Amino acid sequence: MKGNPVYRREMTVSSRSIRLPVMVMVFNSILALVALLNMYSVASQSRVTAEIQYSSFLRLYVFVALIEFLMLIFIMPALTAGSISGERERQTLNLMLSTQMTPVEIVLGKLISSMINMALLVISSFPVISLVFIYGGIQLKDLGLLLLLYLSVALLSSSLGLCFSAVCKRSTVATALSYGFLSFLLIGTYAINFFVWSIAQMGAARYVNQVGGIASQVNSGGFFYLLLLNPALTFYQVIGNQVGDQEVSSMVIQHFGNRQANPVLNGWIPFSICLQILLAILFLVIAVRTIDPACGKKIRRQL
Amino acid sequence: MLQIKNLKKTYGKYPALDGLSMEVKKRALYGFVGPNGAGKTTTIKILMGLLKADSGQILIDGMDAQKNQREVKGKIGYVPDVFGVYDNLKVREYMEFFASCYGMEGLMARKRCSLLLEQVGLEERTDFYVDGLSRGMKQRLCLARALIHDPELLILDEPASGLDPRTRLEFRELLSELNDQGKTIFISSHVLSELNQMCSDIGIIDQGRMIVSGNIREITERVDQSNPLIIRVYQNMEKAMAILRSHSCVRTISIKDNCLSVGFAGDNQDEALLLQQMIDAEVLVNGFFRQQGNLESLFIQITDHEEKEELLYEGKPGL
Repeated sequence: MKGNPVYRREMTVSSRSIRLPVMVMVFNSILALVALLNMYSVASQSRVTAEIQYSSFLRLYVFVALIEFLMLIFIMPALTAGSISGERERQTLNLMLSTQMTPVEIVLGKLISSMINMALLVISSFPVISLVFIYGGIQLKDLGLLLLLYLSVALLSSSLGLCFSAVCKRSTVATALSYGFLSFLLIGTYAINFFVWSIAQMGAARYVNQVGGIASQVNSGGFFYLLLLNPALTFYQVIGNQVGDQEVSSMVIQHFGNRQANPVLNGWIPFSICLQILLAILFLVIAVRTIDPACGKKIRRQL
Repeated sequence: MLQIKNLKKTYGKYPALDGLSMEVKKRALYGFVGPNGAGKTTTIKILMGLLKADSGQILIDGMDAQKNQREVKGKIGYVPDVFGVYDNLKVREYMEFFASCYGMEGLMARKRCSLLLEQVGLEERTDFYVDGLSRGMKQRLCLARALIHDPELLILDEPASGLDPRTRLEFRELLSELNDQGKTIFISSHVLSELNQMCSDIGIIDQGRMIVSGNIREITERVDQSNPLIIRVYQNMEKAMAILRSHSCVRTISIKDNCLSVGFAGDNQDEALLLQQMIDAEVLVNGFFRQQGNLESLFIQITDHEEKEELLYEGKPGL
């Protein structure tokens, strides 16, 4: 990847921009402030009550993990949604395509450079996360799983941004559509299930009135598996398992009605991560095909 | 070097290229001319692999451009009508970026960049930011960028637009120098007077078809033949008119003051004999010349569609 010209140029340009250092500073300042306040409150409490609540360190871990998750999912599309459309606006995309560089190299160069920027932010937050290890409660393998989740989330949200950036002529439209689709993944999938489940419940309520059945047996059916694409739910599962919240793992199965356990429900985290990575790959394929002059024009002209 | 055979491209129902065929010889400096919407940029985009043609064939150095895109791109350098520059990137980095797009890395790339920047006169600007350069410098940088992989064919789309006359002259000299070095140059432009001075060959495209193509000197000579003969008569206008009316090569005569504008279908010898005839008849002539043709008049003639039909289909002399 070091040999990818687009990646190297993006790195040169971003290293000169003040944006990344400012992002690192603001992000870590927030994390450090919260961590210090948390430790201060623990220390103050122990002075008064003479007891140390170790669970508050886990709360710190949850908070840091949540902030990083939100940052990845909301900042990545902003970084990538203007990348290809920006090249088009600067009229440099055709210049690159007229060289021996392939559309795949262009898209991958853009993807990796945005991922590296995000990796820098995540790695810079390690000192704050490491506070959790002082008192225990989180193991290295937990952190490894969290990083794997971050990787899939970053891949999904940046591929989403790249795809719309390739399809749309303008960066503003690409950004709007990226966040629109992201909202669908985060809220839409949940809302669909909620809607379907509510309808099913209403139907079941009438049935219960007539014959006296069990209303809770109804669920949102196949729509439930749409939630596999919801990164927020995957994150909720991972964190819930790590902090020992027993309710969380059973909650997914019981969400929107009871279900029989099956391999997908039992292995929700690996299934959802794999599916989200596949979705990201699909977005990347669309982006490559759109900017490839041999096959891309039709898709773009429609937007 | 470049052969295009029956190239067709439509945008919806509108035919942008309607069976375009042309040939550019090796080491030629070929001017590609046509009115707005004639299909010039579409042709160039298809040549560069940025658009897909509906049908037709493009051969570059005998290689099918649509089937061997990667190899063909290694033989072509492209200067579009826009600069295409990045913010926060220095001249040297900009050049090295495009060098790496052709797989050139390290010392070889750096040497090539330095050589080209020196050739276009930007050797002292290597550490300047690209977006801080003047328009003329940006254009020279774009030319250097297009030459980074030492292409055999250089394609330029409206390269002189927006440049001041001095910068244009410098740019023209640079292109002539490159042509002398053995590069084939294919240049699309609206500045016909410049093409007239610079190009060895020319092709005029209109409505997606090649109307005229060939050596620029031969074409302008043919244009001259279709231009009127201007005869300024000092004395004996009646005799002059009588001679002209009876001459078999004379098509039209118009008169303004003492100046006759004669549509004359003869060649140089016929012109000389006509002058001799007038002098022998004691007509005092103080001006006798064929109005000089240029690319602009040819361009106007060809792209004025009513006139074109008359010229092309009635087979009048001249074209």
